[in-house]
Amino acid sequence: MVKKQHDTICEEQLFSSIFKKHSKDLHNFLYYKYGNLLNPKDKVQEAFIKLWQNCAKVAPEKAKSFVFTTANNLMLNEVAHQKVVLKHQHSKPKHYTNESPEFLMQESQYNDKLQRALSNLTEAQRLAFMMNRVEGKRFKDIAELLGISVKAVEKRIYGALKKLRKDIKEL
Amino acid sequence: MMNREELISKWLDNALTDQELKAFKALEDYEDLIKLNTHLQHFKATDYDTSEALDTVLTTIRKEKTTPKIHWLKPFLRIAAVLAISCSVYFYMITLETQITTAVAQKTTVTLPDASTVALNANSSLAYNKQRWDKTRDVTLKGEAFFKVAKGATFNVITNLGQVTVYGTEFNVKQREHAFEVICYEGLVGVTYNAKEVKLKPGERFLVHNGKLQAKDKEYRSAPSWIHNESEFKSSPFKQVVATFEQHYGVTIVLNTVDTSQLFTGSFTHDDIEVALQSITLPLQLKYTIQNNTITLTSD
Repeated sequence: MVKKQHDTICEEQLFSSIFKKHSKDLHNFLYYKYGNLLNPKDKVQEAFIKLWQNCAKVAPEKAKSFVFTTANNLMLNEVAHQKVVLKHQHSKPKHYTNESPEFLMQESQYNDKLQRALSNLTEAQRLAFMMNRVEGKRFKDIAELLGISVKAVEKRIYGALKKLRKDIKEL
Repeated sequence: MMNREELISKWLDNALTDQELKAFKALEDYEDLIKLNTHLQHFKATDYDTSEALDTVLTTIRKEKTTPKIHWLKPFLRIAAVLAISCSVYFYMITLETQITTAVAQKTTVTLPDASTVALNANSSLAYNKQRWDKTRDVTLKGEAFFKVAKGATFNVITNLGQVTVYGTEFNVKQREHAFEVICYEGLVGVTYNAKEVKLKPGERFLVHNGKLQAKDKEYRSAPSWIHNESEFKSSPFKQVVATFEQHYGVTIVLNTVDTSQLFTGSFTHDDIEVALQSITLPLQLKYTIQNNTITLTSD
Protein backbone atom coordinates (compact mmCIF):
# COMPACT_ATOMS: atom_id res chain seq x y z
CA MET A 1 0.00 0.00 0.00
CA VAL A 2 1.32 3.43 -0.90
CA LYS A 3 1.44 5.80 2.04
CA LYS A 4 -0.29 9.05 1.23
CA GLN A 5 1.20 12.36 2.26
CA HIS A 6 -1.85 13.53 4.22
CA ASP A 7 -1.97 10.32 6.21
CA THR A 8 -0.18 11.88 9.13
CA ILE A 9 -1.51 12.74 12.56
CA CYS A 10 -0.01 16.19 12.16
CA GLU A 11 -3.11 17.00 10.09
CA GLU A 12 -5.57 18.53 12.50
CA GLN A 13 -8.51 16.79 10.83
CA LEU A 14 -7.08 13.30 11.21
CA PHE A 15 -5.93 14.12 14.72
CA SER A 16 -9.44 15.25 15.67
CA SER A 17 -11.05 12.13 14.23
CA ILE A 18 -8.63 9.94 16.19
CA PHE A 19 -9.44 11.95 19.28
CA LYS A 20 -13.19 11.55 18.78
CA LYS A 21 -12.81 7.84 18.18
CA HIS A 22 -10.69 6.95 21.18
CA SER A 23 -10.74 9.64 23.83
CA LYS A 24 -13.93 8.52 25.58
CA ASP A 25 -12.82 4.90 25.70
CA LEU A 26 -9.46 6.05 27.03
CA HIS A 27 -11.16 8.15 29.67
CA ASN A 28 -13.35 5.27 30.84
CA PHE A 29 -10.40 2.91 30.71
CA LEU A 30 -8.46 5.18 33.08
CA TYR A 31 -11.49 5.86 35.23
CA TYR A 32 -12.41 2.24 35.91
CA LYS A 33 -8.81 1.20 36.28
CA TYR A 34 -7.51 3.97 38.53
CA GLY A 35 -10.64 5.73 39.83
CA ASN A 36 -11.42 9.41 39.72
CA LEU A 37 -8.82 10.65 42.15
CA LEU A 38 -5.99 11.08 39.65
CA ASN A 39 -7.93 13.11 37.08
CA PRO A 40 -8.40 10.73 34.15
CA LYS A 41 -9.65 13.67 32.03
CA ASP A 42 -6.34 15.50 32.40
CA LYS A 43 -4.38 12.38 31.56
CA VAL A 44 -6.39 11.91 28.36
CA GLN A 45 -5.55 15.46 27.32
CA GLU A 46 -1.90 15.09 28.21
CA ALA A 47 -1.64 11.85 26.27
CA PHE A 48 -3.20 13.38 23.16
CA ILE A 49 -0.97 16.46 23.39
CA LYS A 50 2.00 14.09 23.53
CA LEU A 51 0.59 12.33 20.47
CA TRP A 52 0.48 15.68 18.67
CA GLN A 53 4.06 16.51 19.64
CA ASN A 54 5.13 13.15 18.23
CA CYS A 55 2.72 13.24 15.29
CA ALA A 56 5.48 12.83 12.72
CA LYS A 57 6.83 9.72 14.42
CA VAL A 58 3.58 7.86 15.16
CA ALA A 59 1.70 6.16 12.34
CA PRO A 60 -2.10 6.69 12.44
CA GLU A 61 -2.75 2.98 13.01
CA LYS A 62 -0.45 3.10 16.05
CA ALA A 63 -2.12 6.20 17.52
CA LYS A 64 -4.60 4.31 19.72
CA SER A 65 -2.00 2.18 21.40
CA PHE A 66 0.25 5.23 21.74
CA VAL A 67 -2.32 7.25 23.70
CA PHE A 68 -3.41 4.26 25.82
CA THR A 69 0.17 3.43 26.76
CA THR A 70 1.10 7.06 27.36
CA ALA A 71 -1.94 7.78 29.53
CA ASN A 72 -1.47 4.56 31.44
CA ASN A 73 2.17 5.48 32.13
CA LEU A 74 1.15 8.97 33.21
CA MET A 75 -1.20 7.37 35.70
CA LEU A 76 1.38 4.88 36.92
CA ASN A 77 3.77 7.77 37.56
CA GLU A 78 1.30 9.15 40.06
CA VAL A 79 -0.51 6.16 41.41
CA ALA A 80 0.75 5.11 44.82
CA HIS A 81 -1.12 1.86 44.48
CA GLN A 82 -3.73 2.91 46.92
CA LYS A 83 -7.14 1.24 46.75
CA VAL A 84 -9.30 2.55 43.96
CA VAL A 85 -12.66 3.80 45.14
CA LEU A 86 -15.20 4.49 42.43
CA LYS A 87 -17.40 7.47 43.14
CA HIS A 88 -21.06 6.84 43.74
CA GLN A 89 -23.05 9.17 41.53
CA HIS A 90 -25.81 10.55 43.77
CA SER A 91 -27.32 12.58 41.01
CA LYS A 92 -28.78 9.56 39.27
CA PRO A 93 -32.54 9.79 39.02
CA LYS A 94 -34.37 7.38 41.26
CA HIS A 95 -37.33 5.42 40.05
CA TYR A 96 -38.48 4.19 43.38
CA THR A 97 -41.73 5.50 44.79
CA ASN A 98 -41.75 3.55 48.00
CA GLU A 99 -38.87 5.36 49.63
CA SER A 100 -39.47 4.37 53.21
CA PRO A 101 -36.60 5.20 55.60
CA GLU A 102 -35.94 1.52 56.03
CA PHE A 103 -35.73 0.95 52.31
CA LEU A 104 -33.40 3.90 51.84
CA MET A 105 -31.12 2.59 54.55
CA GLN A 106 -30.97 -0.83 52.90
CA GLU A 107 -30.19 0.80 49.58
CA SER A 108 -27.40 2.85 51.01
CA GLN A 109 -25.95 -0.14 52.84
CA TYR A 110 -26.00 -2.15 49.63
CA ASN A 111 -24.23 0.65 47.77
CA ASP A 112 -21.53 0.84 50.42
CA LYS A 113 -20.95 -2.88 50.18
CA LEU A 114 -20.85 -2.72 46.39
CA GLN A 115 -18.37 0.15 46.52
CA ARG A 116 -16.03 -1.77 48.79
CA ALA A 117 -16.45 -4.94 46.75
CA LEU A 118 -15.50 -3.03 43.58
CA SER A 119 -12.37 -1.77 45.33
CA ASN A 120 -11.40 -5.34 46.11
CA LEU A 121 -11.37 -6.36 42.42
CA THR A 122 -8.10 -6.36 40.52
CA GLU A 123 -7.57 -3.44 38.14
CA ALA A 124 -7.99 -5.73 35.13
CA GLN A 125 -11.20 -7.31 36.50
CA ARG A 126 -12.80 -4.00 37.43
CA LEU A 127 -11.89 -2.41 34.10
CA ALA A 128 -13.37 -5.19 31.98
CA PHE A 129 -16.41 -5.65 34.22
CA MET A 130 -17.39 -1.97 34.34
CA MET A 131 -16.82 -1.48 30.62
CA ASN A 132 -19.22 -4.35 30.08
CA ARG A 133 -21.90 -3.67 32.72
CA VAL A 134 -21.92 0.12 32.83
CA GLU A 135 -20.66 1.17 29.42
CA GLY A 136 -22.56 -1.62 27.70
CA LYS A 137 -19.61 -2.89 25.70
CA ARG A 138 -19.66 -6.42 24.37
CA PHE A 139 -16.87 -8.91 25.06
CA LYS A 140 -15.30 -8.54 21.65
CA ASP A 141 -15.20 -4.70 21.88
CA ILE A 142 -13.37 -4.95 25.18
CA ALA A 143 -11.04 -7.61 23.81
CA GLU A 144 -10.17 -5.29 20.95
CA LEU A 145 -9.68 -2.31 23.25
CA LEU A 146 -7.37 -4.16 25.59
CA GLY A 147 -5.66 -6.22 22.94
CA ILE A 148 -6.53 -9.55 24.56
CA SER A 149 -8.66 -12.52 23.52
CA VAL A 150 -12.47 -12.65 23.90
CA LYS A 151 -12.09 -15.71 26.10
CA ALA A 152 -9.80 -13.80 28.47
CA VAL A 153 -12.33 -10.95 28.65
CA GLU A 154 -15.14 -13.36 29.46
CA LYS A 155 -13.01 -14.95 32.16
CA ARG A 156 -12.22 -11.58 33.73
CA ILE A 157 -15.82 -10.38 33.71
CA TYR A 158 -17.30 -13.62 34.99
CA GLY A 159 -14.59 -13.78 37.65
CA ALA A 160 -15.36 -10.22 38.68
CA LEU A 161 -19.09 -10.96 38.98
CA LYS A 162 -18.47 -14.01 41.13
CA LYS A 163 -16.11 -12.14 43.42
CA LEU A 164 -18.47 -9.17 43.76
CA ARG A 165 -21.45 -11.32 44.75
CA LYS A 166 -19.36 -13.26 47.24
CA ASP A 167 -17.98 -10.07 48.79
CA ILE A 168 -21.41 -8.44 49.06
CA LYS A 169 -22.79 -11.47 50.82
CA GLU A 170 -19.92 -11.59 53.30
CA LEU A 171 -19.54 -7.90 54.00
CA MET B 1 -30.31 -26.87 27.82
CA MET B 2 -27.50 -24.55 28.83
CA ASN B 3 -26.11 -24.58 32.30
CA ARG B 4 -26.36 -21.64 34.71
CA GLU B 5 -22.83 -20.41 34.18
CA GLU B 6 -23.24 -20.28 30.41
CA LEU B 7 -26.51 -18.41 30.74
CA ILE B 8 -25.03 -15.75 33.00
CA SER B 9 -22.04 -15.39 30.72
CA LYS B 10 -24.29 -14.92 27.68
CA TRP B 11 -26.38 -12.42 29.64
CA LEU B 12 -23.24 -10.49 30.43
CA ASP B 13 -22.38 -10.34 26.75
CA ASN B 14 -25.97 -9.29 25.84
CA ALA B 15 -26.19 -12.37 23.66
CA LEU B 16 -29.21 -14.24 25.03
CA THR B 17 -31.84 -15.46 22.62
CA ASP B 18 -35.48 -15.10 23.62
CA GLN B 19 -35.59 -18.70 24.73
CA GLU B 20 -32.41 -18.37 26.69
CA LEU B 21 -33.67 -15.16 28.30
CA LYS B 22 -36.66 -17.09 29.64
CA ALA B 23 -34.35 -19.68 31.13
CA PHE B 24 -32.16 -16.94 32.60
CA LYS B 25 -35.15 -15.27 34.24
CA ALA B 26 -36.05 -18.57 35.79
CA LEU B 27 -32.69 -18.77 37.58
CA GLU B 28 -32.95 -18.50 41.33
CA ASP B 29 -30.35 -15.70 41.49
CA TYR B 30 -31.98 -13.67 38.72
CA GLU B 31 -33.34 -11.04 41.11
CA ASP B 32 -29.97 -10.80 42.77
CA LEU B 33 -28.18 -10.22 39.50
CA ILE B 34 -30.61 -7.55 38.36
CA LYS B 35 -30.28 -5.75 41.69
CA LEU B 36 -26.52 -5.77 41.41
CA ASN B 37 -26.72 -4.59 37.83
CA THR B 38 -29.03 -1.71 38.73
CA HIS B 39 -26.86 -0.53 41.54
CA LEU B 40 -23.74 -0.80 39.43
CA GLN B 41 -25.09 1.94 37.21
CA HIS B 42 -24.53 4.39 40.06
CA PHE B 43 -20.79 3.85 39.67
CA LYS B 44 -20.71 4.95 36.08
CA ALA B 45 -17.76 7.07 35.06
CA THR B 46 -18.18 10.84 35.32
CA ASP B 47 -19.61 12.35 32.20
CA TYR B 48 -17.09 12.76 29.46
CA ASP B 49 -17.75 15.39 26.82
CA THR B 50 -15.60 14.40 23.85
CA SER B 51 -16.04 17.60 21.83
CA GLU B 52 -15.32 19.81 24.83
CA ALA B 53 -12.17 17.81 25.61
CA LEU B 54 -11.13 18.01 21.95
CA ASP B 55 -11.57 21.81 22.01
CA THR B 56 -9.31 22.05 25.05
CA VAL B 57 -6.62 19.92 23.44
CA LEU B 58 -6.78 21.78 20.12
CA THR B 59 -6.51 25.13 21.91
CA THR B 60 -3.45 23.95 23.79
CA ILE B 61 -1.87 22.60 20.61
CA ARG B 62 -2.51 25.81 18.66
CA LYS B 63 -1.13 27.94 21.48
CA GLU B 64 2.04 25.88 21.42
CA LYS B 65 2.31 26.34 17.69
CA THR B 66 1.78 30.12 17.58
CA THR B 67 3.81 31.14 20.58
CA PRO B 68 7.16 29.53 20.07
CA LYS B 69 8.61 31.51 23.02
CA ILE B 70 12.06 30.02 22.74
CA HIS B 71 12.28 30.58 18.99
CA TRP B 72 12.10 34.39 19.06
CA LEU B 73 14.09 34.71 22.25
CA LYS B 74 17.06 32.72 21.01
CA PRO B 75 18.47 35.17 18.43
CA PHE B 76 18.11 38.01 20.95
CA LEU B 77 20.05 36.04 23.51
CA ARG B 78 22.74 35.40 20.93
CA ILE B 79 23.02 39.10 20.07
CA ALA B 80 23.09 39.98 23.76
CA ALA B 81 25.86 37.47 24.39
CA VAL B 82 27.95 38.81 21.51
CA LEU B 83 27.46 42.39 22.74
CA ALA B 84 28.38 41.48 26.28
CA ILE B 85 31.55 39.74 25.16
CA SER B 86 32.61 42.56 22.82
CA CYS B 87 31.97 45.15 25.53
CA SER B 88 34.03 43.31 28.09
CA VAL B 89 36.85 42.78 25.59
CA TYR B 90 36.74 46.49 24.69
CA PHE B 91 36.88 47.60 28.32
CA TYR B 92 39.61 45.11 28.99
CA MET B 93 41.60 46.45 26.04
CA ILE B 94 41.31 50.11 26.97
CA THR B 95 42.36 49.49 30.54
CA LEU B 96 45.13 47.16 29.46
CA GLU B 97 48.60 48.58 29.94
CA THR B 98 51.33 48.33 27.36
CA GLN B 99 54.34 46.79 29.02
CA ILE B 100 57.94 46.72 27.84
CA THR B 101 60.48 44.64 29.71
CA THR B 102 64.19 44.28 29.16
CA ALA B 103 66.10 41.22 30.27
CA VAL B 104 69.53 41.17 31.84
CA ALA B 105 72.14 42.51 29.37
CA GLN B 106 69.49 44.00 27.10
CA LYS B 107 68.59 47.63 26.35
CA THR B 108 65.78 49.10 24.33
CA THR B 109 64.26 52.41 23.30
CA VAL B 110 60.53 52.97 23.50
CA THR B 111 58.64 55.68 21.67
CA LEU B 112 55.57 56.78 23.58
CA PRO B 113 52.34 57.82 21.81
CA ASP B 114 53.29 61.55 21.96
CA ALA B 115 56.75 60.92 20.47
CA SER B 116 58.47 61.14 23.84
CA THR B 117 61.23 58.55 23.95
CA VAL B 118 62.32 56.33 26.76
CA ALA B 119 65.62 54.44 26.72
CA LEU B 120 65.20 51.43 28.96
CA ASN B 121 68.29 50.07 30.70
CA ALA B 122 68.85 46.35 31.35
CA ASN B 123 66.56 44.34 33.66
CA SER B 124 63.87 47.02 33.73
CA SER B 125 60.24 47.31 32.82
CA LEU B 126 58.01 50.14 31.72
CA ALA B 127 54.21 50.17 31.59
CA TYR B 128 51.81 52.78 30.24
CA ASN B 129 48.23 53.00 28.98
CA LYS B 130 47.98 53.79 25.28
CA GLN B 131 44.26 54.61 25.35
CA ARG B 132 44.42 57.06 28.22
CA TRP B 133 47.66 58.68 27.09
CA ASP B 134 45.86 61.85 25.89
CA LYS B 135 44.56 62.53 29.38
CA THR B 136 47.25 61.25 31.70
CA ARG B 137 50.84 60.74 30.73
CA ASP B 138 51.64 58.18 33.42
CA VAL B 139 54.31 55.54 33.10
CA THR B 140 55.17 52.96 35.71
CA LEU B 141 58.84 52.15 35.93
CA LYS B 142 60.76 49.35 37.55
CA GLY B 143 64.48 49.65 37.02
CA GLU B 144 66.29 52.40 35.12
CA ALA B 145 65.31 54.54 32.15
CA PHE B 146 66.32 57.75 30.41
CA PHE B 147 63.42 59.98 29.35
CA LYS B 148 63.18 62.58 26.61
CA VAL B 149 59.74 64.02 27.19
CA ALA B 150 57.86 65.94 24.53
CA LYS B 151 56.15 69.17 25.57
CA GLY B 152 52.61 68.76 26.78
CA ALA B 153 50.62 67.83 29.85
CA THR B 154 52.23 66.70 33.08
CA PHE B 155 54.28 63.57 32.63
CA ASN B 156 54.56 61.26 35.62
CA VAL B 157 57.00 58.44 36.23
CA ILE B 158 55.70 56.24 39.01
CA THR B 159 58.09 53.91 40.82
CA ASN B 160 57.81 51.89 44.01
CA LEU B 161 59.95 54.37 45.87
CA GLY B 162 58.83 57.73 44.58
CA GLN B 163 57.19 59.65 41.80
CA VAL B 164 58.80 61.95 39.26
CA THR B 165 56.79 64.72 37.70
CA VAL B 166 58.10 66.24 34.52
CA TYR B 167 57.59 69.51 32.77
CA GLY B 168 59.13 68.80 29.34
CA THR B 169 62.70 67.72 29.76
CA GLU B 170 65.40 65.05 29.68
CA PHE B 171 66.10 63.07 32.78
CA ASN B 172 67.20 59.70 34.09
CA VAL B 173 65.30 57.70 36.68
CA LYS B 174 66.91 54.77 38.44
CA GLN B 175 65.14 52.59 40.95
CA ARG B 176 67.01 49.45 42.00
CA GLU B 177 66.25 47.54 45.18
CA HIS B 178 66.69 50.28 47.79
CA ALA B 179 68.21 52.96 45.57
CA PHE B 180 66.25 55.74 43.87
CA GLU B 181 68.20 58.15 41.69
CA VAL B 182 66.99 60.93 39.41
CA ILE B 183 69.28 63.07 37.29
CA CYS B 184 67.90 66.01 35.34
CA TYR B 185 69.67 66.86 32.07
CA GLU B 186 67.38 69.50 30.61
CA GLY B 187 64.27 71.43 31.69
CA LEU B 188 62.75 70.95 35.12
CA VAL B 189 61.95 67.78 37.07
CA GLY B 190 59.98 67.48 40.28
CA VAL B 191 60.79 64.47 42.47
CA THR B 192 58.23 63.48 45.07
CA TYR B 193 59.78 61.38 47.77
CA ASN B 194 58.10 60.75 51.13
CA ALA B 195 55.39 63.27 50.17
CA LYS B 196 57.96 66.03 49.64
CA GLU B 197 58.66 67.43 46.19
CA VAL B 198 62.18 68.43 45.24
CA LYS B 199 62.69 70.34 41.99
CA LEU B 200 65.74 69.45 39.94
CA LYS B 201 67.27 71.89 37.51
CA PRO B 202 69.51 70.75 34.64
CA GLY B 203 72.60 69.05 35.95
CA GLU B 204 71.12 68.23 39.35
CA ARG B 205 71.02 64.75 40.84
CA PHE B 206 68.73 63.31 43.45
CA LEU B 207 69.78 60.06 45.15
CA VAL B 208 68.17 58.13 47.94
CA HIS B 209 69.84 54.99 49.23
CA ASN B 210 68.29 52.78 51.89
CA GLY B 211 65.83 55.54 52.73
CA LYS B 212 68.57 58.14 53.27
CA LEU B 213 68.87 61.16 51.04
CA GLN B 214 72.44 60.79 49.83
CA ALA B 215 73.09 63.53 47.39
CA LYS B 216 71.76 66.43 45.54
CA ASP B 217 74.75 67.48 43.55
CA LYS B 218 75.79 68.56 40.13
CA GLU B 219 75.92 66.42 37.02
CA TYR B 220 77.79 67.76 34.03
CA ARG B 221 76.96 65.30 31.30
CA SER B 222 74.14 65.73 28.85
CA ALA B 223 72.93 62.11 29.14
CA PRO B 224 73.52 59.25 31.57
CA SER B 225 76.63 57.20 30.99
CA TRP B 226 74.74 53.96 30.26
CA ILE B 227 73.29 55.52 27.13
CA HIS B 228 76.88 55.51 25.85
CA ASN B 229 77.40 51.89 26.93
CA GLU B 230 79.05 52.80 30.20
CA SER B 231 78.01 52.62 33.82
CA GLU B 232 79.30 55.47 35.92
CA PHE B 233 79.31 55.80 39.68
CA LYS B 234 79.95 58.67 42.01
CA SER B 235 80.67 57.75 45.62
CA SER B 236 78.30 54.80 45.30
CA PRO B 237 78.43 51.79 47.62
CA PHE B 238 80.40 48.95 45.99
CA LYS B 239 77.36 46.67 46.45
CA GLN B 240 75.48 48.81 43.93
CA VAL B 241 78.35 48.64 41.47
CA VAL B 242 78.40 44.86 41.69
CA ALA B 243 74.63 44.64 41.19
CA THR B 244 74.80 46.88 38.11
CA PHE B 245 77.68 44.84 36.72
CA GLU B 246 75.70 41.63 37.12
CA GLN B 247 72.76 43.15 35.27
CA HIS B 248 74.78 44.28 32.30
CA TYR B 249 76.79 41.13 31.77
CA GLY B 250 74.30 38.54 33.07
CA VAL B 251 76.84 37.01 35.42
CA THR B 252 76.90 36.13 39.11
CA ILE B 253 79.54 37.81 41.23
CA VAL B 254 80.70 36.13 44.40
CA LEU B 255 82.38 38.44 46.90
CA ASN B 256 85.14 36.98 49.00
CA THR B 257 86.20 39.16 51.97
CA VAL B 258 85.27 42.34 50.15
CA ASP B 259 83.90 45.36 52.00
CA THR B 260 80.67 46.02 50.10
CA SER B 261 79.94 49.31 51.78
CA GLN B 262 83.09 51.10 50.56
CA LEU B 263 82.37 53.86 48.11
CA PHE B 264 83.30 53.62 44.45
CA THR B 265 83.77 56.41 41.99
CA GLY B 266 84.44 55.44 38.40
CA SER B 267 82.85 53.67 35.47
CA PHE B 268 82.86 50.40 33.53
CA THR B 269 82.14 49.72 29.87
CA HIS B 270 79.32 47.46 28.64
CA ASP B 271 81.27 46.17 25.67
CA ASP B 272 84.18 44.21 27.14
CA ILE B 273 83.86 42.19 30.30
CA GLU B 274 87.64 41.95 30.90
CA VAL B 275 88.15 45.72 30.63
CA ALA B 276 85.04 46.32 32.73
CA LEU B 277 86.24 43.95 35.45
CA GLN B 278 89.59 45.68 35.56
CA SER B 279 87.83 49.04 35.85
CA ILE B 280 85.99 48.04 39.00
CA THR B 281 88.67 45.89 40.64
CA LEU B 282 91.88 47.81 40.13
CA PRO B 283 90.93 50.99 42.02
CA LEU B 284 89.92 48.91 45.05
CA GLN B 285 92.87 46.51 44.77
CA LEU B 286 90.74 43.41 44.18
CA LYS B 287 91.59 40.22 42.29
CA TYR B 288 89.12 38.40 40.07
CA THR B 289 88.70 34.88 38.72
CA ILE B 290 86.19 33.93 36.00
CA GLN B 291 84.57 30.51 35.94
CA ASN B 292 81.77 30.09 33.39
CA ASN B 293 79.18 32.64 34.50
CA THR B 294 80.51 33.12 37.99
CA ILE B 295 83.10 35.73 38.89
CA THR B 296 84.80 35.66 42.25
CA LEU B 297 86.28 38.86 43.68
CA THR B 298 88.89 38.62 46.42
CA SER B 299 90.59 41.44 48.22
CA ASP B 300 94.35 41.50 48.13
